[in-house]
Amino acid sequence: MGGRANGRRAWWEDGMSELVRLTDVTKVYQGGITGALNGVSASIERGEFTAIMGPSGSGKSTMLNLVAGLDRPTSGTITVGGTDLAKLSEAGLARFRRDHIGFVFQFFYLLPNLTALENVLIPAQLKGNSATVRARGLLDQLGIKEAADRYPARLSGGQQQRVAIARALINEPTLLLADEPTGALDTHSGEQVMELLGRLHGDGQTILLVTHDAKLATRNAARVISVMDGKIVDDARLETTERSAAEVIRVRGEELKR
Amino acid sequence: MSLKYGLMGLLAEEPLHGYEVKNRFEAMLGGTWEVNIGQVYTTLQRLERDGLVQPVGERGDRGKLLYRLSAEGQKALAEWLSQPDSGPQQLHEDIYVKLLLATRVANGDLAPLLARQKRAYLQRLRDLNRLEDQARRDGRNDLARLVRGALLHTEADLKWVDELTADAHGGKTE
Repeated sequence: MGGRANGRRAWWEDGMSELVRLTDVTKVYQGGITGALNGVSASIERGEFTAIMGPSGSGKSTMLNLVAGLDRPTSGTITVGGTDLAKLSEAGLARFRRDHIGFVFQFFYLLPNLTALENVLIPAQLKGNSATVRARGLLDQLGIKEAADRYPARLSGGQQQRVAIARALINEPTLLLADEPTGALDTHSGEQVMELLGRLHGDGQTILLVTHDAKLATRNAARVISVMDGKIVDDARLETTERSAAEVIRVRGEELKR
Repeated sequence: MSLKYGLMGLLAEEPLHGYEVKNRFEAMLGGTWEVNIGQVYTTLQRLERDGLVQPVGERGDRGKLLYRLSAEGQKALAEWLSQPDSGPQQLHEDIYVKLLLATRVANGDLAPLLARQKRAYLQRLRDLNRLEDQARRDGRNDLARLVRGALLHTEADLKWVDELTADAHGGKTE
């Protein structure tokens, strides 16, 4: 009973290999404290599905942006796959992002004058190879094959987010980062997107998800990091063993009195 | 929730004997409510006494007796189904009292209690997510609805604990 959600292990104890390490990372923003980080250390293993949760302005998105190399920390070090991001030039950082990071945002950020397929291909073209076959395959895998030649304005929110996920996956990223990917979607589309992320994780994709929706986070993530006021206040590893209905829910009856 | 009306609802479908009605009731609840067979027989006897169910025929092999819902029982069941649940809210879990006592006993420092409770709720959310998926896979949409209710309740519990945690940290919530 006592150890249910407390089965916390250090990353080096279970033979998994470390993919991301943040060491005493601080981020200070000029003129305001919102989103700042204050001495954050954490380690993410390959193949993990981790959720980062916290209130608005707690610094959870900042963590993700720093890991993605979209922004640099004020102090502290961040390594991804053994590479110290501080040692990379701006061009090196751009290459790193292209080759290793897939990023999915709340508001999709698809280019409106390109079709779904062309949007998916953008990162691949940056890399200098034509990956049309893979792009079509991804759209098929994500259940939006028929949307390939349509423009974003003609797609539903759920479809646009799936196009954005395909775009994030086109270069087979080492790490998939998702910042509130269901935040702009209705409940059903949100669940579909989470199911999709779950499947990708099942195929071995390392995923770091920022969300404020605990229901959706716990669908897939076996680890939940809670951030508050720029600090990690909890790092919970959840048990993945199956529990029977009786162990999880007890419907209580009122006894017949008379 | 009442076992009495649960049994009556099942007897409205077809006449059943005690053991069958117990099994069907438990299957309907998907394992979330285990009933003692003695309790089922006692309930059936009281329902019979009150004219809400009637025995069908004589005792069969091994003393089994079939019951069916009477016309009066039909009326009572329809009446019960049509009424909203409007009594006091039930807060069964210890956490409510623990919080009050921790405020007095543990120097008012709620943070450790809240952190542990949050983990328990996250674990419960994960387990409920699985159960909901399982119920849908099994084609039990009725059970999935029940699990969904539990899931949303747990989400509210988690929000509550987050709010208290933010207060304890002197911070702000969303």
